[in-house]
Amino acid sequence: MSGPFLQIEHLSYAYQINKQILNKISFDLKKGESLGILGPNGGGKSTLLKILVGLLKKQSGSIKIEGLEVDPSSANYRHYFAYLPQATEFNEILPVRVKDLLDYACLLKESATKISETLEIVGMLNKQDELISALSGGERQRVLLAKALIHGPKILVLDEPTNGLDSNGQDQLLAILNTIKKEQATAVIIVDHNINQILKHCDKILCLNNSGHWHDSKDLLTKNILESIYHCEFEHTLIHEKVGDQIDHHQCVTHGPKHNDDKEKA
Amino acid sequence: MNLISSFLLSMGDFLEYDFLFFALVGTLILSITCGLISPLIVARKFAFMGSAVSHSTLFGLSMGLIFFPWENTFAVFTTTLIITLLLVTFLAQATYRQKLPTDGLIGIFFTASMGAGILLFHLFARQRGNLMGILFGDILLLRVEDLWFSFFLLALFIPAILIPFKKWIYTSYDEEGAIISGLNVKLFHYSFYFLVTILIVSSIKIAGTVLINTLLLVPGVFGLKMAKTIPQTFVYSVLFSVIFSCLGLLLANWQGLPSGATLSVIQFLALSLLLLLGKFKKKS
Repeated sequence: MSGPFLQIEHLSYAYQINKQILNKISFDLKKGESLGILGPNGGGKSTLLKILVGLLKKQSGSIKIEGLEVDPSSANYRHYFAYLPQATEFNEILPVRVKDLLDYACLLKESATKISETLEIVGMLNKQDELISALSGGERQRVLLAKALIHGPKILVLDEPTNGLDSNGQDQLLAILNTIKKEQATAVIIVDHNINQILKHCDKILCLNNSGHWHDSKDLLTKNILESIYHCEFEHTLIHEKVGDQIDHHQCVTHGPKHNDDKEKA
Repeated sequence: MNLISSFLLSMGDFLEYDFLFFALVGTLILSITCGLISPLIVARKFAFMGSAVSHSTLFGLSMGLIFFPWENTFAVFTTTLIITLLLVTFLAQATYRQKLPTDGLIGIFFTASMGAGILLFHLFARQRGNLMGILFGDILLLRVEDLWFSFFLLALFIPAILIPFKKWIYTSYDEEGAIISGLNVKLFHYSFYFLVTILIVSSIKIAGTVLINTLLLVPGVFGLKMAKTIPQTFVYSVLFSVIFSCLGLLLANWQGLPSGATLSVIQFLALSLLLLLGKFKKKS
């Protein structure tokens, strides 16, 4: 069994002093594996992705690719990652066609695959001459995915890619992602609020909340628990009871196996 | 019929009188330069910025007139250009990837620099010339040197826009994507401010603020409204700019009207008419 392709160790980030948004986050990912990141708003999901793709500088911790520490903001490593941001705002006044956008994405670096081949992967080849402003939400997301894939990235980072899509559009997009994962051995990191989709399509789950602790186990993070982390963080305490001292499966950085509240009560 | 023949006859004036010929060539060159950059100005939401820069040149002009006599045109306009470029650098810095709407900052820059310019002129350079006359220049007063200067501007702008053409479009269309792909978006942001400033300051003496702002905005709006592709947008913009600028000048000469104002009104009327026709065509 091969070792992890991407290793994140003790990654921390704070926008302001005393306002830690990421606190010593660790996870790893093999080639062709997918990680789903869940959590309430303000939990640090987008911040984590921005650090991974080099849009924000990490403040502590390490990012390793095949065992070597990398700085994603450096031009040498930028090609490892492809990023699909949460909200892509295009200046729609300009009549840019689907194939134009992919052409622009290759201005500094030659594409790993031809534009037509990439558009075929996402099922948009027949729309290559259409204006992006005329596309539906689902089609637009597929074009953005094609743009992210054009350089053949090793790690695909997607921030809420199914946002605003109907269930059909969500299924189509996630099916494409599964194909890319399998056929191109691309590691996929995906942030989404749809717990069902994440549980169904991702190999690993990382749950970030906004009170400083986090979990990464697909076996333990059942739908009920994930929903409770989202909504009231009540059932989340059940994990601690269930896991006991097995800290390997349930990493909790601000406290030990006991819960924060328990600690305070003690 | 009489009207048409009188209009056609008036066109002969452009071959007969040097100043009219120079005005026609100057209009042609300036309309190509402006038509080329106009879609980018509209798409990058620089309309207000262009107006602000054209009025803030008052500050540079006043400074120039303090140190040099009006007859030394080159020194006055070089001082104006340097000072306006310095002012615009601060503006470019203040507006780069700001969450706050930039029009507020531009408005402050606009009024403060214009006010300071008028004050300086009033205190130190009032006897040197008519500031408003300079600001509202006249295309009928072009000299051969001005034409050469217009050629120089065109020669600067064609490569500056066309060589990194796709990069201009990408940074204007998807700024975040351009940053992620490794493009130096900040360099393009600053370069655009500098290009627009150079064009405006250099053209004010030739065309005046009214005409230069018209030429910078109307063709771009037309191109962006009518075209289906990016290259088409720029071709439409340049064609519109050239055709209706020259037509405006011919009409101004024919009826003895102020040239800058006539060109501006003709461009606006042509834009309105063509957009209306475009709408009817779509419906039918």
